[in-house]
Amino acid sequence: MGEIAMLHDVSKCTACRGCMVACKQWKNLPADKEVFIGAYQSHRDLGPYTLNLIRMREDYSGSDMKWVFSKFQCMHCGDPACARACPEYALRKEINGPVSHDDDKCVGCGYCVTNCTFSVPHIDEARKKSTKCDLCADRIEKGMVPSCAQTCTSDAILFGTRHEMAALAEKRLAVLKEKYPNACLYGVDKNDGIGGSSMMYIFTDKPSVFGFPDNPEVSKSLPFWKDYAQPGGKILMGAAAIAVGGALVANSVIGGKSSHKKGDGDHE
Amino acid sequence: MKVNRRSFLKSAAGAGVGLSFGGLGFNLREAKAAAREFKLEGSREYTSICTFCACGCGMICHVKEGKLINLEGDPDHIVNEGGLCSKGASMSVIPNSGERVKTPLYRAPGSDSWQEITWEEAIERTAAALKKARDEHWTAAETENGKTYQVNRCDAASIVGGAQVHNEECYLMAKMARTLGLVYVEHQARLCHSSTVPALSGSFGRGAMTNSWNDLKNAKVILIEGSNAAENHPMSMKWIMRAKEAGACVIHVDPRFTRTSKIADIHAQIRPGTDIAFLGSVINYVLENNLYDKDFVLNHTNALLLINKDFSFSEGLFSGYDELDKKYDSSSWSYRLDGFGKPLKAASLDDPACVFSKLKAHFSRYDIKTASGITGIPEEKIRLIAETYAKNGPGTVMYALGMTQHTVGVQNIRCFGVLQLLLGYMGKPGTGINALRGEPNVQGSTDFALLFNYFPGYLSSPTHKQQTLAEWTKSYGTFRAKFFINLLKAWYGDKASASNDYLYGLLPKMNANTNYSIYRIFETASEGKMKFLYIMGQNPMVTSPNLNLVHKGLCGLETLVVADPFMTETASFWEKPGTDPKTVNTEVIFLPAASFLEKEGTLINSSRMVQWRYAGIDPVGAAKSDLEIIDLIFTKIRDMYRNEPSENAESILAAFWDYPKQDMAEAVLKEINGYDLKTGKLLTGIAAQKDDGTTSAGNWLYSGIFMNGENLCKRRNNRTDPSGLGLYPEYAWTWPGNMRILYNRASCDATGKPYDEANKLVWWDAAAGKWAGYDVPDVPAAADGPDTPNGQRPFRMSGEGLGRLFLAKYQDMEPSGAPRDTSYVTADGPMPEFYEPVESPADNALHPSVQINPCLKYPRMPSMQLIGDRREFPYVLCTSSITEHWCGGVYTRNVPWLNELVKETFIEIPVKLASKLGIKGGDSVNVRSARGEIQVKAMVTERIQTLIINGQEVTVVWMPYNWGFKGLSTAASTNLLTIDAGDPNTWIQETKACLVNVAKA
Repeated sequence: MGEIAMLHDVSKCTACRGCMVACKQWKNLPADKEVFIGAYQSHRDLGPYTLNLIRMREDYSGSDMKWVFSKFQCMHCGDPACARACPEYALRKEINGPVSHDDDKCVGCGYCVTNCTFSVPHIDEARKKSTKCDLCADRIEKGMVPSCAQTCTSDAILFGTRHEMAALAEKRLAVLKEKYPNACLYGVDKNDGIGGSSMMYIFTDKPSVFGFPDNPEVSKSLPFWKDYAQPGGKILMGAAAIAVGGALVANSVIGGKSSHKKGDGDHE
Repeated sequence: MKVNRRSFLKSAAGAGVGLSFGGLGFNLREAKAAAREFKLEGSREYTSICTFCACGCGMICHVKEGKLINLEGDPDHIVNEGGLCSKGASMSVIPNSGERVKTPLYRAPGSDSWQEITWEEAIERTAAALKKARDEHWTAAETENGKTYQVNRCDAASIVGGAQVHNEECYLMAKMARTLGLVYVEHQARLCHSSTVPALSGSFGRGAMTNSWNDLKNAKVILIEGSNAAENHPMSMKWIMRAKEAGACVIHVDPRFTRTSKIADIHAQIRPGTDIAFLGSVINYVLENNLYDKDFVLNHTNALLLINKDFSFSEGLFSGYDELDKKYDSSSWSYRLDGFGKPLKAASLDDPACVFSKLKAHFSRYDIKTASGITGIPEEKIRLIAETYAKNGPGTVMYALGMTQHTVGVQNIRCFGVLQLLLGYMGKPGTGINALRGEPNVQGSTDFALLFNYFPGYLSSPTHKQQTLAEWTKSYGTFRAKFFINLLKAWYGDKASASNDYLYGLLPKMNANTNYSIYRIFETASEGKMKFLYIMGQNPMVTSPNLNLVHKGLCGLETLVVADPFMTETASFWEKPGTDPKTVNTEVIFLPAASFLEKEGTLINSSRMVQWRYAGIDPVGAAKSDLEIIDLIFTKIRDMYRNEPSENAESILAAFWDYPKQDMAEAVLKEINGYDLKTGKLLTGIAAQKDDGTTSAGNWLYSGIFMNGENLCKRRNNRTDPSGLGLYPEYAWTWPGNMRILYNRASCDATGKPYDEANKLVWWDAAAGKWAGYDVPDVPAAADGPDTPNGQRPFRMSGEGLGRLFLAKYQDMEPSGAPRDTSYVTADGPMPEFYEPVESPADNALHPSVQINPCLKYPRMPSMQLIGDRREFPYVLCTSSITEHWCGGVYTRNVPWLNELVKETFIEIPVKLASKLGIKGGDSVNVRSARGEIQVKAMVTERIQTLIINGQEVTVVWMPYNWGFKGLSTAASTNLLTIDAGDPNTWIQETKACLVNVAKA
């Protein structure tokens, strides 16, 4: 069957947020103590206990209200910056799509946090581990679909083979284009700046409207590191490249280790 | 293309990998780790049904070592296909919550604390208090105009609750309450959808949602008005999305832009309380532009019937109005009858005396300009909606409390009845009126009549004027009298016989002129007249309007008993902030109830689908199911009266009450289904019921739920759907007789041929000489073809057998001269008319001299029911619920996962008003009405815009009402502000429109 993927059709999302609860329920994650910020938005960002977030944004043009909802979680990039940046080989792009995270190997250094194109991973300070969505690998292994996709009330989150999801996305896009001229797919094209992703979207407007970079890219300085770091990678690097990779570790540290977001220790 | 999750799973299984995805090569390190400690390893499964709105979603629960370790949507369920909204998805918390009350509690009068007591003591105290209220306040007879009537009732004890518990529990509670002589028997349906029943049964004959969740997918245009379905009936979205994929247009009419508006194609912002003006203009547009379905109107409605020449309407009042009594004499709202008492028919729709002409004349005043001025919806948008809705059938309506909770609630919904009948959008796939019921078993608690004015199966409660079954039959007809006899046989068993009028005489008789609604329970309690109140699964200290009055009522009781899984604001009203417990002399008994996951029984969803819940885990602590609690209380009281004979005990001692401790729910369900008393076999359906005392049925509507010993509501065949329309006839069971779409006879023309061959439901099979179909045909008799009178009764449950555009006073007579059935007449007019809310920012633009519903009686208690003036309270407050919290919040506010999503009460304020008042998002604001003041946080938004109403700016604000002072999430209760003025038909309160003032705190 090949690669798998998840697809969020934002035009169908009603922000019931069943996916957020189902995720926490399955993974036994505690609730965060969030404060009311004057909007329906529940959390400002993902966190170590919130791996999946529905972002809600009101956009009023003076005559028309647009209330846009999108699911925010690990993109499972085709070319994941996090895996390239991880010095412990804890993160890896699996051939079937998900970017896996090995808790045993993770030391919570935060390079993934710094380098992720989408600022997804968060360090759980209590455990000193990086956290992010794993696409419910345990469920998939048992023939169950990821919790969020299963619970979706409005068929907005779909899960299946990447091939099926991509075909469905193309079909939906053709329909949505009539009403939303800026509608686009995201993560479907493997030639985009992140090598496509296993978390794909159908957006009714430009990606930036939903809080995503319009042209996502993996930092130019990272590829060598990945090729060095991934023993299963396509190119096995020689000593010279290893030296370059070493330099990049330093880079990453300078770039962001000190700016790790604090894990939200204040939870219920 | 439909790639759903189920097919993904199936294809995986089909690929020969069983339940393993090894075929995907998903041999990850993680997966290996997961295999070691897979969450569900070693667990067993059971199914349940969600306990929030009445979508009736299926759940799969996983239990390990007696503990619920996981809960998720059931992929094989026909409504939710594995889905659950945030509330449903969080329910594994409930049996594991540290907040659950584990033992019975007692709070003595004046005490400031609870003490733990045993179940024996709790039941003993409950029974003794109830008995005391009966014995000290028993009315055996009362006198009116010199005549004495036997009434056998107690006005000092009351029961509230039922929408959260099972059908069997509702049934036993109704049986207990009525055999104890109680008339104050009420529950949440009064506050949420009571206006639905008269509006729909008046229009069509039955009071329930006509189509189903699955059927939404068949619509081409969907009008959602007064409903935030995406938030409050989230699973409806699954089926709306399917309709949209097939090209359907969704129209949303609501005071705000909500999560439902987000998925709508057209959104119109309407001023709260003006739906009749809007729908009146749509009806007028349909009539003026000949957009109605002429064949349907001619054959399936009362359009041609001739109206009494004394009928009139002028300046906001129909003929027969008595200004002193604020009441109509409806005798002129009748038909011209022939010599046999049947209505005379006009030759054409042009006859000025026919219903159609009356309707046309009545709505001609509702031109689009006038409607726009009243509602605030731009003229062009009203026109667009009317055009879109009328021309793109099949069209369906979805509505909820935005329509029901008004002083014109019944007439709001009546507009839908008129509109759908005119457009022929009834009885067919993708049509109908979908009354979105909001509690898990509120359809059941309504069916089982935990409402003062009904007995189970919508049999009107006897009044003092109906001293015998014959007198009752004179009012309600022989058709329903048969069911009453079956009910009495179920309640009194062998003791009921034709010779003793089936013990009808023992039943409590309401005073025909008295309102026994839940509002009156608290009002009479606050006056010291109500002594005892038993509440199960309801939290009126959060959900009832005008909470100061509710609180005063609770303080005035002698005894309050509350059965609930969690502590509620109602049970702990004596420790409400600002209350000195020493001054509260009410004794309170708290009975820890099993949650829905810990008990078995049936509940019925909004689509009338009865489903079985299994008890997969033991009740938490010493909690007991409501069924067991009710059984314990009744048998305790009966024992007390056995030991101490009393004249008011006859009904209690005569009642059949002997239920097994094991499988009690199924035993009760069998009593409800009914028996052939000669053979002892379960009845096979409604048609098997007899009127001679040889059959019994606790609720005639539920007859046939057992077939050949099989409990049909346990069925789970999600594969068989020959029509492809989503009927799933072998999945669970629907009333009546497993019918999925009500009034489906109307999907055929007069000859019995389907209007739409490609989407047919039923048809006349001439060769076989019977009605046939994918659905159970909704006809009086399957063999009575289109050439017989029975073959032309598409709305057979109304007296006329027709859809009623005009609610005429009519009794269908049998050839013998006995009344067969009586059509329902609304108190406030045979056709809807627009009146302003009691508290309104505007004058009535249609008839300034009749501002509000002329039949409204309010205030009932002037000292506690103040009416706000628009100069002091300039803004319109609309209230409702949200996705993440539910009703009184007893469950949801005890779930941390839901509290992190929505944290507290807030107020949505339009940006324009917020800037005027200097309020920013997140600021604290004071909101004040004539009844109270609370402080909440502000949500400043453009999703509500200032409206222009007849040239004046009107601002609407909105608040959720789900909070109180108990539970893990506490915040101010919005219902301190709301008004309890009520619709004259059902007294439902106007929580959707009152006036407030807002200021920065």
